[in-house]
Amino acid sequence: MKILKIIPEKCTGCMRCELACSYEQTGTFQPSKAVIRVSAFEGHTSYAPYTCPQCDEAWCLTACPVEAIGISPAGAKDVADDICVGCKLCTIACPYGTMFYDIDTHKAFKCDLCGGNPACASVCPTDAIVFEEADKTDWVGPFAAERAKSPAGPLAGVL
Amino acid sequence: MARHVIVGGGTAGWNAITTLRELDQGDSEIVLVADETPYSRMVLPYYLARDIAESHVYIASPPKLAALNVDARLGARAERIDASAGKLILEGGDEIEYDNLLIATGSSAVKAPVPGADGKNVHSFWTFPQARAVASGVGEGARVAMIGAGFIAFTILNALVNQGVKLTVVELESRILPRMIDDTGAGIVQDWLNERGVEVRTSTQVTSIEDKGDAKLLKFKEGPDLEVDLVIMATGIKPNIDWVAGSGLETNQGILVDEHCRTNVENIYAAGDIAEGPDAVTGEKVVHAIEPTAMQHGRVAAANMAGQEVAYKGSLLMNIVDVLDMEIASFGAWDDADAEVFEAVRPERPAYRKLLFHGGRLTGAIILGKTREIWTTNDVGMLKGLVYTGVDILEWKEHLRENPFDVKRAFLASGAAGGLLPETVLGRPSISAHEIAISS
Repeated sequence: MKILKIIPEKCTGCMRCELACSYEQTGTFQPSKAVIRVSAFEGHTSYAPYTCPQCDEAWCLTACPVEAIGISPAGAKDVADDICVGCKLCTIACPYGTMFYDIDTHKAFKCDLCGGNPACASVCPTDAIVFEEADKTDWVGPFAAERAKSPAGPLAGVL
Repeated sequence: MARHVIVGGGTAGWNAITTLRELDQGDSEIVLVADETPYSRMVLPYYLARDIAESHVYIASPPKLAALNVDARLGARAERIDASAGKLILEGGDEIEYDNLLIATGSSAVKAPVPGADGKNVHSFWTFPQARAVASGVGEGARVAMIGAGFIAFTILNALVNQGVKLTVVELESRILPRMIDDTGAGIVQDWLNERGVEVRTSTQVTSIEDKGDAKLLKFKEGPDLEVDLVIMATGIKPNIDWVAGSGLETNQGILVDEHCRTNVENIYAAGDIAEGPDAVTGEKVVHAIEPTAMQHGRVAAANMAGQEVAYKGSLLMNIVDVLDMEIASFGAWDDADAEVFEAVRPERPAYRKLLFHGGRLTGAIILGKTREIWTTNDVGMLKGLVYTGVDILEWKEHLRENPFDVKRAFLASGAAGGLLPETVLGRPSISAHEIAISS
């Protein structure tokens, strides 16, 4: 099954993925509604995109009290809007911080891999995000940890 | 063929059923003893808000249970357990032999011991019938008193206010949400409510509830009387353990269980609100009467009943509630006097963060802010991940002391995600309950 593989070393921080994601998901260019988010490290010299790893445990899916979350043909955990009541249980069950709530629709939302053609990967100009067969692993963690362990300490990497 | 008998069809019981079937594809007998058709308590507030139909509340209809090859004894009540004979005895005298027994009989609402608490138009809000009773009594202009300002009360606050109810919240303790947030958080929420027309009376004890024509008159130890049309008693819950007395099961507040959700009797398990099991942060045994714990208990108990050796890391205390577009969540040991505490308030937004540390480990957190803002950072899940995994973030501690709102980079650098990814409760990828295939 294909996943979103992230190579943070290649990310330039252009934020196209956030824009494309929000446009694909909501029809508006609104990064606050993107389900992939780019973080800056080391005073905006390094960046890392982060999104749902489509984990095997599927904390969101098992937590949902109305079985509104299923697994799509693309292999994404996906919310059925007509069943979701907006209780937000999935948002506190998910330990990755990749389950969101839309205050306008009163529904939970998350990365659904755009039905098998993720917009973030399509628009990434440097292939920092690619959609391919790969292991489910912590693509961003080691990159972020190295930057936290710089000699000046984590504060050096912060605005 | 092993016979699994499950008493109680709430979240814990239902998750046990689906997990058993996920693991054995139908190769066992499952008997469900439940006095009601299983429904989801978690969505009752949305039923009260008239957002969803009654049918949406039922998680496991009789056809769904039949499709999973469950012998559902709906309307039946368990009376006692004969553990030495391996039998469950029902009210009316029927007996069911079991190889494994799961006790998931949940909890009941407790009304404050106040004269008049059992009178008409005084309701708890815990079961589906109680939710129906409240729903039929509220509407535009109805005057409602909510006795108790805990989590359950707050889950239905939106539904009441958005229907035009004139709401007064009365709390015995000195702050609202006393078991979910601290004084600082409670103060912010109380101001937020007052600004939106909800009256809140803290440190206030109800002394009687009387009839006054069709209305109810509440009297207090101090302060003016309150006349309302309906009273909701959200004054706590207690595990339904009375019926297991004499069975030989060890109990405290609930039925004591180990990390396998097993009681002191080898083939008897307990799950959900009735079970007192390990806490993920402290390791101590506690009753966490919350939906995620019921779900996890149900899954873990079922895996062990199916013959797997599945140990549970423990349940994490966590709650989230939205109060008129302010989001309030807390995780783990948020009320720990021995912890090192970092906190920050941004009164103009308003927003509040509290992080509690032991060494390099985040052991508890409170997050509070406007709903529209909280979901643009999504620290809610990351705080859960940090508290649940207990991963070392010592290198970020000083940064978080100064910037408790900047959790995301610490989370990404912590490796919490890497530690979590290989973990699955059942030792394989979870599937949706809709995907369970039964061989017959």
